[in-house]
Amino acid sequence: MFIYTLKRLAVAIPTFVVVLIITFTLTVISPFDPVAMMMTQFEGTLDTLATEDAIKRIRDQYGLNDSYGVQFTRWLGRMLQGDLGISINGQRNVLRMIVKTFPISFQLGLAGAVVTILMGIPLGCLAALRQNTWLDYTIVGGTLVFRTVPVFVLAPLLLVLFVLVLGIMNVPRGWDGLFQTKVILPVFILALGPLPVVVRQTRAAVLEVFSMDYVRTAKMKGLEMWRIIIRHILRNALIPVVTTLGFIAAGLIVGSIFLDSIFAIPGFGGVAEAGFRGFDYPVIMGVTMVSAIMIILTNLFVDLIYPFLDPRIKLE
Amino acid sequence: MVESTETVSDNKLGDELNSESQVKTRSLWQDAVRRLLRNRLSIIGLIISSLLLIAAFLGPTIAPYSYTEQDLMNVAKMPSPDHWLGTDEIGRDLFSRVLWGARTATLVATFTTVISVIIGVLLGALAGYGGQLADNIIGRLIDIVMSVPDLLLAALIAVSIKQPVVSWAEGIYESNGFPLFADTTWLDLLVVFGGLAFVSWPGYARLIRGQIFSLREEQYIEAAKAVGVSEMKIALRHLLPNAIGPVIVTLTFSFSSAMVLESSLSYLGIGIQPPQASWGNMIASNIGSWSYRPWLVAVPALTLAIVTLGINFLGDGLNDALNPRSKRSI
Repeated sequence: MFIYTLKRLAVAIPTFVVVLIITFTLTVISPFDPVAMMMTQFEGTLDTLATEDAIKRIRDQYGLNDSYGVQFTRWLGRMLQGDLGISINGQRNVLRMIVKTFPISFQLGLAGAVVTILMGIPLGCLAALRQNTWLDYTIVGGTLVFRTVPVFVLAPLLLVLFVLVLGIMNVPRGWDGLFQTKVILPVFILALGPLPVVVRQTRAAVLEVFSMDYVRTAKMKGLEMWRIIIRHILRNALIPVVTTLGFIAAGLIVGSIFLDSIFAIPGFGGVAEAGFRGFDYPVIMGVTMVSAIMIILTNLFVDLIYPFLDPRIKLE
Repeated sequence: MVESTETVSDNKLGDELNSESQVKTRSLWQDAVRRLLRNRLSIIGLIISSLLLIAAFLGPTIAPYSYTEQDLMNVAKMPSPDHWLGTDEIGRDLFSRVLWGARTATLVATFTTVISVIIGVLLGALAGYGGQLADNIIGRLIDIVMSVPDLLLAALIAVSIKQPVVSWAEGIYESNGFPLFADTTWLDLLVVFGGLAFVSWPGYARLIRGQIFSLREEQYIEAAKAVGVSEMKIALRHLLPNAIGPVIVTLTFSFSSAMVLESSLSYLGIGIQPPQASWGNMIASNIGSWSYRPWLVAVPALTLAIVTLGINFLGDGLNDALNPRSKRSI
């Protein structure tokens, strides 16, 4: 087990380091000049006052004149100390921006993951038990809809449907904690993204277990169907579903990038969106890294608990 | 769905064989087309995809207005006979803009798919034939690209190559005055191509690598090698026909995901810039007014949803038709 853990770590850490290098390199090779960008924001006002000297001082302040190696080591060193730099638009501490918004997104994401799993497993199970009937097609085809339709399409359409056409809710905006009615729609939309993966994985796993000898034996013994499903099928079928956690994490992160501004939620995704819109490199690097860490950690977690769920893995 | 069409077709085939003394032969492809056309969803997908292609090629011709033309007497109007889908907040015809958006989306998806197929197939072949080291390096690269969400990585790349691309084009324009390089639309497209191609090649590389490795185990390949057929010939004679089905299916799915990614980038303001029409930037610029001008955001959003769904239905149908033995992919 110890060796297995080490092996998994040996995969996760280099992946993360390469993600770091790619992130950093991409932002450095780009001769995009954040100082020039700042100047254009003040076009016609402050930029007329900025002398060459002042601009050089600002560039020095951000360390933009150093070589790649120097910049990378300095950046890595700072990052290991938890310093993600200062945003270009608004001069705010990137780590603090992320730390402040992350708990909100984490709660939303957790709620989304729970909803995904609570909807996905029964639906997948149902689809498998009614394989090749209209119910199976409806569930699989219906969730397929959400595999590609992105959040920024789904959210306005559902808002128009629920608020304007059906008139069953007020405009859900803002964040007052997780247990509020206005959280229902955002969480639901977040949960729909990764739902098809869970449904398909559950369906496939249940179908596989269904043809096992012990299920046939249980049926022959005369056990009720629900007991067979819970005791024999789900127990074994749910193991592979754990592997979808990585997908769920990725789906939730990407979903929140669009969702936060639409629902005025002060979350991590909103920070990311503002970063991209403003070409704010420190923010973009910060959110990319935090997202990568979240996904790599989720996959590591899946790898590490898998042998406990499925002892056969240990043998390999 | 896979299983049902299969059993139905098998039964029918069996019946035909029994009842008719004359056996009609069908090629692999004819068989695939039959299976495809038997599936109702894939017919819908085929129709939607054809409509998209027509809109992309003929859109500017059939569009009643230009994508920038403003009708200042009719600003932010509901759909009417003059403007079939209404006008936006600065009086541009929404129907025309949706048609131009179809051209943008198709252009981006086509180019990205072509670029990523080329990169993916080359790297996949290198991983399959280039020995242990090449396989390991490419394998790690695939893992890394896949460990960051598509959209984040594409956005990161698009953001960072934007300025180099712009200054490169400016350089060319200044040195020889090509009018093409004065037009920034192309640069937006180039930036989006770059970002999307980078995130979409791993699918193909994995596929090709997997095919090479699984074929190696097959006995008929062993037999071919034993009689002295060259690797090149084996690749062309056995690998290519085996891989083409899965590649076509992957192509369809990655076409629709490229469209979604393009819209996402444009939504975030990194991709196609207004006034150029992209469904993504149309949604972005109108999303703030969804509660009082819902059609402005609903029209591009529904278009994007319907088109991606249609292409995915087609992809599923193709999967059932071309790889009848395979299980539905996740």
